[in-house]
Amino acid sequence: MRIASRLATLAWAVAAAGVAALALWRASAVGSGRSPAVATGAVLLALVLLLALYGVRRRLPSLPLGRASSWLAVHVIGGLAGVGAYVVHAGAAWPSGAADQALALLFLVVVASGVVGHLLQAIVPRRLTRAGSEIIYERIPAEIARLRAQAESTILQAAVACGHDTLGNYYAQSLAWYFDKPRFELQHLLGTAAAQVWEARKLAAVERLLDAQERTHLASIAKLCSAKRAIDVQYALQTLLRRWLLIHAPAASAFMVMAAWHSVAALVYSR
Amino acid sequence: MSDAQVDALMQRPEIAAIQADRFPPSVPLRGILRNDARIVTVSPGEIVVREGDYGNSAFLILDGSLRVVLPPGLPRESLGRQTPRSAGLLATLARAFRPSPQLPEMRDVRPPAGAVAAPSKGDARALTFLQDIPAILDRHRSVQLGAGEIFGEIAALGRVPRSATVFAESPSRLLEIRWQGLRELRRHDPGWRRMIDERYRRNALLNHLQAQTFFSSLDEATLASVAAAVRFRTYGDADWHVAHKRGREAAQADPSADVAVPIDQEAVIAAEGGPADSVYLIRSGFARVSCIVGGGRRTITYLGVGAQFGLAEAHAAWKTGREIRLSQTLSAIGQVDVLRVPVSVLVAHVFPGLHEVPAPYATQRRIEDDAFVDWLIDERWINGTQTMLIDLDRCVRCDDCVRACAATHDGNPRFVRHGPVSDRWMVANACMHCQDPVCMIGCPTGAIHRHELGGVVIINDDTCIGCGTCAASCPYDNIRMVEIADRSGRPLVDENGAAVRKATKCDLCVGQPGGPACVRACPQDALRRTGGQALLIHGVDGTPR
Repeated sequence: MRIASRLATLAWAVAAAGVAALALWRASAVGSGRSPAVATGAVLLALVLLLALYGVRRRLPSLPLGRASSWLAVHVIGGLAGVGAYVVHAGAAWPSGAADQALALLFLVVVASGVVGHLLQAIVPRRLTRAGSEIIYERIPAEIARLRAQAESTILQAAVACGHDTLGNYYAQSLAWYFDKPRFELQHLLGTAAAQVWEARKLAAVERLLDAQERTHLASIAKLCSAKRAIDVQYALQTLLRRWLLIHAPAASAFMVMAAWHSVAALVYSR
Repeated sequence: MSDAQVDALMQRPEIAAIQADRFPPSVPLRGILRNDARIVTVSPGEIVVREGDYGNSAFLILDGSLRVVLPPGLPRESLGRQTPRSAGLLATLARAFRPSPQLPEMRDVRPPAGAVAAPSKGDARALTFLQDIPAILDRHRSVQLGAGEIFGEIAALGRVPRSATVFAESPSRLLEIRWQGLRELRRHDPGWRRMIDERYRRNALLNHLQAQTFFSSLDEATLASVAAAVRFRTYGDADWHVAHKRGREAAQADPSADVAVPIDQEAVIAAEGGPADSVYLIRSGFARVSCIVGGGRRTITYLGVGAQFGLAEAHAAWKTGREIRLSQTLSAIGQVDVLRVPVSVLVAHVFPGLHEVPAPYATQRRIEDDAFVDWLIDERWINGTQTMLIDLDRCVRCDDCVRACAATHDGNPRFVRHGPVSDRWMVANACMHCQDPVCMIGCPTGAIHRHELGGVVIINDDTCIGCGTCAASCPYDNIRMVEIADRSGRPLVDENGAAVRKATKCDLCVGQPGGPACVRACPQDALRRTGGQALLIHGVDGTPR
């Protein structure tokens, strides 16, 4: 077993033991008539602050603070331990007060988006690799523009060479939409062949109206459609890899603010 | 060189002694002198070759005197070298919290460091002057070179770093001969071949042989007799990087075009089925070990500097007394310098005392994994010592690596997270700090050089004149020329109003605590800097998931 996986196993064991110890301590405190809420809340808040340090680490990449992958492992394990600590602190029941409900809702969103994000990070990269046409996300608009320019150039060449505007008119009516921007995002996320089917249907519809020379140009358009589809897959999947964080990070920030307010209120009103 | 200059040269004893009639009509001696040589005039204090530089020419002293600085050599600063200092914790903290500049590629505009004088872009020599020659001669051991002596040929022909610094002691004239001309002189004239080979035997061969484990127990006299029997030979194309770069550009322009299979184009050093009568030692470059499988050739592995080929078969033939043929082919990847040691020498001096004989090269990998290994070799990624290899099955395309690089380099990332892909592995456009750093050949000021520790290739901004030689030479397009601005953001221009450019590339965060920021910043452990045989392991069975 590699050292990294041994350390991960150890970290999981420590986290599980910590949560179990916290639950046992809470049970004994309740049994002896003491209120454990402040102590368990303090543990939960400390855990939340620990999780937030991962964001700090990401924003200070030039500092020698160890590998980000180790920080992420701590973030994931600590996050799931946080769920346990939350249950120990607040119980499994849905809270009654509006502020507590908002806090619980934010916690749920943070946890759910975190879990989803973690799963996406494990699954989506492989799909991106298999999709091919690897491209930097920010270059996708330029790449689509390049494909569009190629497609329009092919159409113009066809019109000049063949003397017909059939292909040109059809491109303007049907295919220009496809080359305009990323399409079939949801279908690509779901892994369906919708885009491929759409391309085949559109190309077949016009093929019977073309002569032999025009069909060679249509074949070039078909190749460009295929290249565009690969870029669309990259766009859909890379966007997904970015979007989950747009939920997770703001929700986490909001949760921390509310948790801080909740802590102050709890300390004030527990006296 | 003009005809008159060639005529004058032909009268010199070193040239007159060359047997011109032995040269083929397509490569006449006069043609070599005219096209591959030039006369260079140097002033006192001018450095002609600099220790550690990679050069592509040798020099014959026509008149005047020069000095070779003996070890430990001149201080790095005198040679225009940069000595990056480790950034302290405070400096690292300050940079982490300093806002990134709005403009790219800002530089401190200061006079060049030390004794370095930056030449114009047109000057192709290592124009760095030493200011106080008497003091240098007092402080450093040196040997005088006079008219008729040659130097620099080992580095030029073997593509190894210059082993010493040579500077002019008095006004001197030199005949600078490009490696292509030197190669022809050695090939066709016995006198020059003998002279070059003798100099190599005297200066470098013993060290090279001693580095081999099976020669390490020999005494000096025996080793000398082994050295006397060794034959040198160069295989393949020294300009491989030019052809390689053109091939990549052509493939990018037309991916559907037929491309020749590289393994079929390589010069064969020792063929499978041939006699096991020699052991081959790789002196510089890379060679491929392959064997025939079905109708094709399968790559077993590649060999780098210091590796041997044929020892197992030669030893087995001696041990059993039977005739044993080579079971694999050794071929040149790019240019390879090979030392060929006859078996008779090994039988006499080495085999009787050799207890641990290396097995023939073999591979346990499956044929389906060959594509990745062939890709690494065909694309010359094996040249890298710090190749940026990204596991695309792990990479979440977050660009944290790029941001970390930018944060460590004043807001300007030194690599592009993009590059050729094979299966799930991407080699990103980041300097690979090559074993054979062709980018360093021809740098007129030696600005691009190896760091004294670890061999990282770095660029000294102070002495970079922006000529672009390194960027044009890099077969992997990992060096970029950038227009620079001063700290106030004002673009820097030269006396003609043209923008001042500098070469920029990954410096592996040399001097930064914690190592390369890109590696540390990857949250998925998808990015690694690796090289050598480890590259093959990563692709085939490394980092299992």
